[in-house]
Amino acid sequence: MASTAADSTAQAAPTAPPSLILPPSQFARLQPHAYLLAHLSPPASSQQPSLRANGRSPSQFRITSANTGSLTHTNGSAVVRLGDTTAVCGIKAEILHTEDIPSWSVSHSSSSLASNKRRKLTSPAENLGADREDGSEETDDDDDSYIEDFSLLVPNLSLSTGCAPGFIPGAPPSALAQSLSHQILSLLRSTRIVRSKDLQIWYQRPNLGREELEVHNEDEQMDVDVEQDRSGGATPEPREIKAFWVLYIDIMIISLAGNPFDAAWLSVLAALRDTKLPRAWWDVDNEIVVCSDLVSEARKLSLRGLPVASSFGVFEADAAAGWRAVLIPDAEEERKIADSERKGIRRRWILADPDGYEEGLSLERVCLVVDRDQGGSGEVVIVKLEKNGGFAVDRKELKQLVEISAQRWEDINQILGQC
Amino acid sequence: MNKEAPLSVVERDFILDALRENVRLDGRSADQLRSLTVSFGEEYGHVKVQLGKTSLIVRISSEVAKPHDDRPFDGIFNISIELTAMGSPAWENGRQGDLEAYVANVLDRVIRHSNALDTESLCILKGVSCWTIRADVHITDYDGNLIDASCIGIMAGLQHFRRPDAVVKDGQVIVYGLDERVPVPLNITHKPLSVTFHTFDEGKVVILDAARKEEQASEADVIIGLNNAGDVCYLSKFSGSPVDALVFVTKTTVALEKVKEINSIIDKALQADLAKRAKGGLAEQARAENDRLIG
Amino acid sequence: MMGGPIASLHPLSRADGSASYKCPSTGSNVLGSVNAPVELPGRRDALKPEDATIEVFVKPGTAPSGVGERYVEGILRGALSRIVLGREKGYPRRGVVITLAILGGESIGRGGSYLPLLPALLHTSILALLSASVPLSMSLSATMLAVNPSGEIVRKPSITDARAAASLHVLAFTSKGHLLLSESEGRFNFDTWDKVYENALAVCHGTSTLSSDGDVAMTENMDTQPLEGFVRDTVEDHIRAEYAWKVDAA
Repeated sequence: MASTAADSTAQAAPTAPPSLILPPSQFARLQPHAYLLAHLSPPASSQQPSLRANGRSPSQFRITSANTGSLTHTNGSAVVRLGDTTAVCGIKAEILHTEDIPSWSVSHSSSSLASNKRRKLTSPAENLGADREDGSEETDDDDDSYIEDFSLLVPNLSLSTGCAPGFIPGAPPSALAQSLSHQILSLLRSTRIVRSKDLQIWYQRPNLGREELEVHNEDEQMDVDVEQDRSGGATPEPREIKAFWVLYIDIMIISLAGNPFDAAWLSVLAALRDTKLPRAWWDVDNEIVVCSDLVSEARKLSLRGLPVASSFGVFEADAAAGWRAVLIPDAEEERKIADSERKGIRRRWILADPDGYEEGLSLERVCLVVDRDQGGSGEVVIVKLEKNGGFAVDRKELKQLVEISAQRWEDINQILGQC
Repeated sequence: MNKEAPLSVVERDFILDALRENVRLDGRSADQLRSLTVSFGEEYGHVKVQLGKTSLIVRISSEVAKPHDDRPFDGIFNISIELTAMGSPAWENGRQGDLEAYVANVLDRVIRHSNALDTESLCILKGVSCWTIRADVHITDYDGNLIDASCIGIMAGLQHFRRPDAVVKDGQVIVYGLDERVPVPLNITHKPLSVTFHTFDEGKVVILDAARKEEQASEADVIIGLNNAGDVCYLSKFSGSPVDALVFVTKTTVALEKVKEINSIIDKALQADLAKRAKGGLAEQARAENDRLIG
Repeated sequence: MMGGPIASLHPLSRADGSASYKCPSTGSNVLGSVNAPVELPGRRDALKPEDATIEVFVKPGTAPSGVGERYVEGILRGALSRIVLGREKGYPRRGVVITLAILGGESIGRGGSYLPLLPALLHTSILALLSASVPLSMSLSATMLAVNPSGEIVRKPSITDARAAASLHVLAFTSKGHLLLSESEGRFNFDTWDKVYENALAVCHGTSTLSSDGDVAMTENMDTQPLEGFVRDTVEDHIRAEYAWKVDAA
């Protein structure tokens, strides 16, 4: 009797005061902000480094891997994993006949005399442009307007059902998916990564000299040959664009754990590098475009540069500071506070490649897309910079972020080189 | 969703009682239009319509496109209306409500299906290219009678709009910029407008151009679409309680009178704008010459 | 040369607040309305418990809205939500609905750059928010700068300047001088951006704030008033007009 009573009290003792200690996973859910803050600013006595809840240092990106050519029915494809965020990109090339383009036969006389000339292939401007082809970046500038004018690149991003909680089946494309699609399209355009030359399908009228050869014997070098002929003073040969390749770039985020843009863009980049277009020509007898089924004749795209995206989120120690403060410090004071901060307590952290948890806790975002001139040896060039939603990132911080992004470029260059 | 806050019972009774005594909220008579101003912006086809407190902006734009396969000789004309929270806080952005679909349908019938804009004249090259004319209606303030106000805006816009000149030269279409060649007005076959009536008190009271609160208190609406010549191109009694057939007969004459009145207001505004442009153009030329002299 | 922007406050009667804004260099003309605070019954699960939900809707003038609009809406929402005091009484769990209609200027095609319109959209929004008396922590001003291929910075670029530019930059500063937003595209390096920053700050806040690095401030000739003052002037003019009866009576 007595012994059992003693037993029960002994058992009850540890549970008697309701425990105030929560397992970390529950704490993370109940107080996400405090949880991340506790990781980033460990007590000085603990001798622990300031790490994020996911164990990364603030400027550390997640483990990135890329795999190309895994979808067999596409012209190019890639699967990119950025930690738990996974993006799949498939590129399908379709033929668009010029006669199906409403604005093909339209030229605007005023503003764009250039555009008028562009389509008359005998004009000297074209010859000059063709001469310098395959040279440095600046040569074939205005021939890329084809891509823009006729929408030859059609990216579409979808966030698949179940990629994150809250993505239910049957919902229309979310605002996030739409704006990511737009960002990818505008980046494809502004970086001019795909050359319009790669997407043109030509018809070469047989000339007297090589009657027998006909169109079938044109090899992939044909373009260059003919242009050299022409610029060499020969009478311009009647040659015309009969069709274009349209690249349908479909990106699917199958798992979303933060930073979808970096993953999506990297998958586009890897897939474009993987894309092969079959040799195609205009068959004048049947009036159709014919493609060669020889794999050996298929051509890779010659891309311009390697723009790499790096995104950052800003985590603030006091989330509601802007609201609670009677007077928000102005930019000058802000800088002073930032200077004095180094000694004392930090107020904010810039987190590279934020995961889903961190994204939910940061308002301010920075996205940098950088490239290097001359195939990687030259100077770092920024091709897109976006900073929005807060005051923490100013000139000094951006300068650091550009450096981090340049470092990231090296890593990605290596990763893409291996796949 | 997309419903205005309902009227209170007293407010409704007040409006009805007053109407029975032939008094309207704003003191108009039953067949009187609210004050209407039509003005034009800098660009061709930019119209601002102010009908009482209802105001809207219409923009007409043109683009070269490929004609529909089944109609190679026709150009394309579209009317687009989207109700945003700008016009009324009750309207939700990005969600189509019943009102939006209804107004779009009526506008389509009154203007597009009556062939007010001659689409054949928009053809450039058979089956290859044609003009697409697009009318965008932006409701900026909603205080009733959306349909009539939109009709006025679109018709004024179509008459004001000038598309760039285009010429076909050996299979190539050349589009000339607005500053290069005198732009071309659209070919308007007739000028239909809609006139909306609302009925109250079991059809005994019929008023024209109802304001928002009157619309809310009404039993039914009758829309008559007709042109200056009196050709009826649209008649509807869409919802609400039944209306005596005689209303259509008697009100058609009223509607014709109103259509003429409105069309003359549009004409006057167009004339004034044209005169202003001619003057502005001359001044511009003079300045350019001066510049040249100085240069 | 071209004058400054033209704006008016509260041109509409139904909306809680509204503003129209016209930028002479790009020709963009934007009308904005703000309804706040309003109930957002359809989005109950998206409402934040302690903050206001800001919704931005951009309606293009002569085209159906598409992915580009969703993108620019996101940018505007990001910038404005840092300025609106959504925790003030009456605002949490409610919506601040900003509707912007593009009424003039060139329309933007699919995938086209929204940067030329961004300053006008931001200015219209801030004026409309002021007109609706939405509590704000600060105001903002924004400007677009183009860097032409020879590396010169072009202030107040026209649409043609913007097309020919090597890079385009839109920067927005709060009334206290923080860099609130920076959107750039094209090819450029950090030093170029840094110069653009200096220039943009001068356009938005005048040269006085640049006094720390003296000679730059001296070489910039400011022919127009800083944009920050423009927002203030617009509001002051409106108040003067609204209270004319009171002033007259006194």
